Amino acid sequence: MSQAHAEAYLDPGTPEEQSRRAFMANATIVLGTVIGLVIGVPLLAYSVPGKKINELSAEAWSPVDANDWTKLTTSAAPLKVSFTRKTTDGYFAPEGASDYVWGVKMNQTQFDKMKAERTDLFPPDASKSEQVPYASQIYTAGYVIFSSICPHLGCRFAWDDSKSIFFCPCHNSTYDRTGERTGGPAPRGLDPLPLREQSGKAEITWIRYKSSTPDRVIVSYS
Amino acid sequence: MLNWLESRTGFVSMTKNFLTEDVPGGPSYWYVFGSATLFAMILQIVTGIFLTMYYAPSSASAWESTLFIYQKVPFGQFIISLHYWGATAMIALVAMHLVQVAVWGAYKRPRELQWVVGIVLFILTLVLGLTGYLLPWDLNAYFASQVSLNITGAAPIAGPFLQNWLQGGPVMNTLTLNKFFGIHVWLTPLLLILLVGVHLIIFRHNGSAGPPRDDRRALKPGRFWPNQMFMDTIASLVVLLVIVILATLSPAPLDAKADPNNDQFVPSPAWYFMGLYFLLEIFPGQLGQLIGTIGIPTLGVLFLILLPWLDRNPSREVRRRPAAMVVTAVFILIAAGLSIGGQSTVNAKADARGQTAPTVPGGADAAKVAAAAAAPLAPAGSAGQSSSSASGPGATVFSANCSSCHGASGQGTPGAFPPLAGNSAVTAADPKEIIQIVLNGKTGPLNVGGTTYNGTMPPWKSQLKPDEIAAVLTYIRSAWGNQAGAVSTAQVQAAAK
Repeated sequence: MSQAHAEAYLDPGTPEEQSRRAFMANATIVLGTVIGLVIGVPLLAYSVPGKKINELSAEAWSPVDANDWTKLTTSAAPLKVSFTRKTTDGYFAPEGASDYVWGVKMNQTQFDKMKAERTDLFPPDASKSEQVPYASQIYTAGYVIFSSICPHLGCRFAWDDSKSIFFCPCHNSTYDRTGERTGGPAPRGLDPLPLREQSGKAEITWIRYKSSTPDRVIVSYS
Repeated sequence: MLNWLESRTGFVSMTKNFLTEDVPGGPSYWYVFGSATLFAMILQIVTGIFLTMYYAPSSASAWESTLFIYQKVPFGQFIISLHYWGATAMIALVAMHLVQVAVWGAYKRPRELQWVVGIVLFILTLVLGLTGYLLPWDLNAYFASQVSLNITGAAPIAGPFLQNWLQGGPVMNTLTLNKFFGIHVWLTPLLLILLVGVHLIIFRHNGSAGPPRDDRRALKPGRFWPNQMFMDTIASLVVLLVIVILATLSPAPLDAKADPNNDQFVPSPAWYFMGLYFLLEIFPGQLGQLIGTIGIPTLGVLFLILLPWLDRNPSREVRRRPAAMVVTAVFILIAAGLSIGGQSTVNAKADARGQTAPTVPGGADAAKVAAAAAAPLAPAGSAGQSSSSASGPGATVFSANCSSCHGASGQGTPGAFPPLAGNSAVTAADPKEIIQIVLNGKTGPLNVGGTTYNGTMPPWKSQLKPDEIAAVLTYIRSAWGNQAGAVSTAQVQAAAK
């Protein structure tokens, strides 16, 4: 021990002193751990989003843009329909953000085809229909609404009129006019949103589903 | 495993060397102040890092994110309060450490530079206190910082530039918050850690100063590890427990959001700036402000830095240094006296205005913001920033259920929903009719103040409890200039039969 200011460490001391030191060393480690836990445990819990942050906001009907809807009534191709989405963005006061969904005009024959095709939404086994939220609200007054978010990994897809498909630019998932997946990595077809008529105006409920899962799991209504 | 680590890194022997240190005269609880200060600093850094995970420095989000931590984040109020009381603990411990070193003459040769670095650390700690004070962006933070920035600007020569630099422009605004955030979270802590390292390296070079005895041969050395370290750990644990108890019993306050138009609010500085605050009171006028807030503090700091060279007495023994003891005592008495004077001045000013410390985080307005967050989509701009001072359960029920149609200030929606402010049906002496409307709803057309409204008021009797209806009626009958009497739960229950 050639260190400076280390005279006290030259003499190992009496057995009593040695045992006293061993006790203090252990006690220091134990108390240090206690200090770490008293600070560390609340900090860990603090950093995990709690119940109040993960809480599902209430579902709500939003009226869609009247001009967009008028255009849709005469359009053979799916169209973007804008609406004001209520957003709760962390600590900011809730506000309305401009957003859109995809509207598809369908006659009964086209919808029957969709029903037959989209067994994920309309399972032949009626007992399973409970798994599909709002199955009865998918087709209203001749229209179907799809969420604008790709079920694969959450990008935004768009209608390609030349090929008559919905195409997602992120990973090339494609869907036909009824939302059925026709190619690419998506695990399920497009997600329909509840649609209703209220005093002659169309209203939708915005739902954000979990991405990448075959089943539809509701993540948020905002 | 330790051998494996040692052979590859040398960390084990490094740690051993670090912990091997003589303690002159043996370990003592008198020696814990430095390490307790270090512990408080570590607590501040750790809690501060976690606070930045939710806090967002801008005038649009600072107060909102702080309130969010209180209301929505698990243990959020506790962590903020740890940081709040940790700041107090750190400054108090730095002060105790400083006073002890002064009384024991430990600043003397060869430790002059260790003392100078210590004074710089003390100033950095105060800078942390000052800059952190603005970050919640509540009324107190806003006006207290406004005052300190303008004092800075009044200083001769560098003052105007310094104020402009600190503010990030000609006035205090969101850029000031960003600047203070950068100084509080990055610049000062980094300097602090660096200089604490320098402080410790010098400490190791000279060895521990030990007790104030001139005869060093009489001091039998003891061991730092584990003997002194054990006492240091106990001290840190006590400091932590005191902070935890204070944080639990007396959580950090958060006032209403900064409102530049508030002309009634009495800001108060942190307790460790009360002395400076009182100097401003004692020395009135332009010149007085210069003397009180810049001249005297600068001289004080200069005196502290030069102390090792001003004090030529070679002895460290307390009884052989009467002059130094008198000066130290006078220093402490002046600091304490000024602080007490400052505190009682602030208290008197606040009392004169009937101002009390906020009991709810975020002040009375916070409850309304929380209710608005839970309410369905309301017109943009209607949430929060209402000048109405009303609060309580009625306001909460109103923002959650009524404001999206009738407006946050009861202004109504043209053509559809009538205004409640200045509506004679709302303020009628007998509330029977308005109780009926809320209970059973109403369908237009309805004529209010010469305008026709065609909307539909839904019945609320199955949605709201009688006491909630009574509270919201009391609220709308007394808010926005309405001046009608309260409605009781019994009146609502009677009408519902």
